[in-house]
Amino acid sequence: MEISPPAPGVQMEQDDPLLQLLDLTRRFGDTCAVDHVSLSIADGEMIGIIGRSGAGKSTLLRMIGRLTDPSEGRILYNGDDVTALRGQALRQWRARTAMIFQQFNLVNRLDVLTNVMCGRLFAIPVARVLLAWFTPAERALAIRALDRLGLAGFAMKRADTLSGGQQQRVAIARALMQQPRIVLADEPVASLDPLNAKLVMDALADINRRDGMTVLVNLHTLDIARSYCRRIIGMSGGHIVFDGSPAALDDRALHKIYGQPAGEAPDDPPAVTNYRPALAQ
Amino acid sequence: MTATELDIAAERDRFPEVFRGQGWPRRALMAGVIAYLFYLMWLFDFSRVFGGLPKAWTILRLMLDWTGFAGWDHAELWRSMLETIAMAYLGSVLAVVFAAPLGFLGARNLIPGRIFHFVTRRLFDGLRGLDQLIWALVFVRAMGLGPVAGIMAIAVVETGVLAKLFAEAVETIDRGQVDGIGATGGGFVARVRFGVLPQVLPTMIGQTLYTIEANTREATILGLVGAGGIGLRLSERIQINAWDQVAYSIVLILISVAAIDTISRFLRLRLIGEA
Ligand SMILES: Nc1ncnc2c1ncn2[C@@H]1O[C@H](COP(=O)(O)OP(=O)(O)O)[C@@H](O)[C@H]1O
Ligand SMILES: [Mg+2]
Repeated sequence: MEISPPAPGVQMEQDDPLLQLLDLTRRFGDTCAVDHVSLSIADGEMIGIIGRSGAGKSTLLRMIGRLTDPSEGRILYNGDDVTALRGQALRQWRARTAMIFQQFNLVNRLDVLTNVMCGRLFAIPVARVLLAWFTPAERALAIRALDRLGLAGFAMKRADTLSGGQQQRVAIARALMQQPRIVLADEPVASLDPLNAKLVMDALADINRRDGMTVLVNLHTLDIARSYCRRIIGMSGGHIVFDGSPAALDDRALHKIYGQPAGEAPDDPPAVTNYRPALAQ
Repeated sequence: MTATELDIAAERDRFPEVFRGQGWPRRALMAGVIAYLFYLMWLFDFSRVFGGLPKAWTILRLMLDWTGFAGWDHAELWRSMLETIAMAYLGSVLAVVFAAPLGFLGARNLIPGRIFHFVTRRLFDGLRGLDQLIWALVFVRAMGLGPVAGIMAIAVVETGVLAKLFAEAVETIDRGQVDGIGATGGGFVARVRFGVLPQVLPTMIGQTLYTIEANTREATILGLVGAGGIGLRLSERIQINAWDQVAYSIVLILISVAAIDTISRFLRLRLIGEA
């Protein structure tokens, strides 16, 4: 097992995107959470997605990570259609697209190291999964990921004894264990204080820059998006209403995204997505 | 101010709710309930209680007279006591072995499907619907006198009880933690093993320990219908009026139950951090 990130700076040609969304749509009953979204994402980008709560940001990320099924449209990865993957292929895709949640979603009662090693469950035979038996190689990989995030000293602590910021960084370590190509972070810093938010955002920026992982991050704080992302996507009512550099994000654009002429994001709390697919899916 | 000075009628007019429920219908009902009680005591010839008191007193005296202590079959009594504990333990462990997978299968959030869910729940209800004593009678008929019948009775009933409790524990878990495992690409087994099990394990351990505890008590009764253990000895000795040994057996039971309770509380504290 060897972490072999694509060499930084090696980018696909502009017209050959890593990820392509074509008319991606998701309806929940009468609400259209994501409405015919088309998007091209190049390898190695770090993209901030902003928008009011309910704009469809979470649904979009969850569809890309194939945690929520699209109602319509397609997702292409290097030109391959991944919209309808099932079974083993679907799990491989989920492993390739690591998800970071607002509420961390670590397993509270397990120690930090085990939580991080869970990032490799997709590659572990069922018998070993049942016995919760991890190899020395997996342990080494996990402690290395933790060490990189400055949390090696917490490896044996129970996950729920850590602070929110630490838990989120453990979640990032777990994501690193997946050796993903794409990291999808859904409001990763929304429950954190500014200092911890910075640590977490720095960690995401670091894996983007050093490992060349493509990062899509939902944010509800505008200035964080501005300072970490060179490309910002604004969503409103399930549509993409802005796509450009932070510099292009003027009052007019903000008005389209947030529906009000202020230069600051409205302070309504981000929607916590309670709806989750059945555990059996 | 005395009652005669009080204008009761006036107060009743102003605060009717204070006087409500004081009327004759209510009093008649109370009288009826009490009369029914006395009728039942007459019906069941309750005076026997008083007629039996001298005899009960004699039994109590015999129970306290342990002068024959050296001559009792201590080996048999102790072995039976250990047999009872072993029955409770083995029956409970068997129950856990069956109840754990059944509990996961019966959890609505893990295995969707109304019909499947309905069937599993009714199965659990069916298993625990009959008392252990009835199951014990059935198994004694099928497998003969002895502890195996008792173990089976405990295993069957507790499988139903534990499966239901386990399923309910699984249904109250935090989905986010399971979602987190699913998002890493973990399959069904991985999600259950790492997302669900850690969350429900403390509950499962606690309930299992409690089951062993409770069944040590229950198993003595099973002995009375021939399903082995100290209960069997107890009924034998009651039949031959060996009240001193009956008392001794009861002491053995009390000590064992207390010991199991203590051990169980200790384990609970060690394993899941709560007593
Ligand atoms: N599982 C679901 N069931 C029903 N409605 C949902 C579900 N998930 C999201 N929605 C709805 O879709 C819309 C977009 O939600 P979401 O993607 O969570 O937005 P955001 O993350 O931008 O706050 C909202 O109106 C929300 O209520
Ligand atoms: Mg959201």
